[in-house]
Amino acid sequence: MSKSIFELVDNLPKNNVTTMVLNSLDFAIPGQWQNTTNFEQMIREVTGERDEEMIQKIGDRAVWLFNDKTQGYQNALWLYQNVDKSDYALGAAALANKVGSKIGFLNFLNRLTPNNEKAQAIDLAIKLVVELVAFCQINGLPGDSIGDFVAALREYESDALMRMTALICIDGLVPFGADFIMKVESTLNNLSTQELNNNAGFSSVSKLIPGNNSEGKLQFISNSFEAVKSWMIGFVSSHNLTQNEVMKNLSNFVEFSEDKLDYVAAFLDMSTNYFEHTGTQSIARSLISRAMMEV
Amino acid sequence: MKNKKISSFIISFCLFSLLLLSSCTPQPPSRFEGAQQESISAGNKNTAVDKNAVKGATFNQFFPSNSGEYERVFTQEKGGFVQAKLKKNGEDLAILAIFDTISNPSAKDDFKNSTDKINGFPAVQKGSNSTAVLVGDRYQVSIRSSNNDFGIEERKEWLSKFDLNSLSKVK
Repeated sequence: MSKSIFELVDNLPKNNVTTMVLNSLDFAIPGQWQNTTNFEQMIREVTGERDEEMIQKIGDRAVWLFNDKTQGYQNALWLYQNVDKSDYALGAAALANKVGSKIGFLNFLNRLTPNNEKAQAIDLAIKLVVELVAFCQINGLPGDSIGDFVAALREYESDALMRMTALICIDGLVPFGADFIMKVESTLNNLSTQELNNNAGFSSVSKLIPGNNSEGKLQFISNSFEAVKSWMIGFVSSHNLTQNEVMKNLSNFVEFSEDKLDYVAAFLDMSTNYFEHTGTQSIARSLISRAMMEV
Repeated sequence: MKNKKISSFIISFCLFSLLLLSSCTPQPPSRFEGAQQESISAGNKNTAVDKNAVKGATFNQFFPSNSGEYERVFTQEKGGFVQAKLKKNGEDLAILAIFDTISNPSAKDDFKNSTDKINGFPAVQKGSNSTAVLVGDRYQVSIRSSNNDFGIEERKEWLSKFDLNSLSKVK
């Protein structure tokens, strides 16, 4: 049996490289994300409830809902956990003692292999699709409901909005700059199914990506990116996001040199698991929000 | 000099012991551990939602519709459950939901002592900021405030805007 939802939330790190990166993005969406790492506290935040008996009932109901595999929450968690797992274990171990002091980025250069542009672009597209599929699993829309997801994006808040912000900033602006949407689009347009299958990020989550075969899955990835594109363009412009601004905020805790942005991207890949971290918080938040109306 | 060394040794020793103690003290079990144990024993499929629960989408039609500056945005649709946000000029006011209590019959217990009625159906306060109606002895329609300006009177008013009569006929 997998872990309980309260254990998953209670065990989230309070302070590590992931939370530092996410906190550094607060400039883009001020005050939206708090790193809640206590399930009971999250119940109080989401529900505004003060009645202890009610809090107990809500938490208990959320526990049952999470454990019922037919309800989609386990699938969503699996997606969030797997999409940024490949490099993370390595990075977390190397950086275990680095939290608190400024990270001397150059010390890590020899451990980093920057992704080529293509792999980096696929990575962003896969994460976007994972978000879409996980959203549908959590909120109960059909698994390939691209339109519903796009409409729901404007309701995104707290951990979910932070995850999308990080996707745009960390996986888009840092490695590619302002042209990231064009670069991902042109990569997807020229991608063969074989190249897709060779991508580690894709193979780790492909079983839950809609599509009967690799071709269908690639089509779904392209369609999803196409549908979310204008939301991303709007988000970047309405929040005045630039590569410089993101780097300036990251430089509060990482020392890096400007000519090595591809290495910075690789470093962030290796040292953060922001999909898993904020994804766990989003699942718990959604469960609580449902449970409070089911008791 | 020697005293300083001794005192720093004592301080280090105390700090070290504290660290050791705190790392050895097991965390108290969560208040939700009981539910976890029961749920595990029950299995991992169809344990939280009854197979006969009404399809969530059936409930959408009974929600109050958008009017003027008020907007209703559906946020969750699961077996026996639909949830929406109520917004006014883009600001969240409350969460609205219809739930088929077949999946959690204990939700009906609160209505046994109900003295209040909305459109003829029993109504109760649930917890500190939620009001609910039990329709057809099966469907719980509830509103939870997410804004301080949206109080109990507003919750009752908006509960009466649901099509409770038609909902009571859903089988």
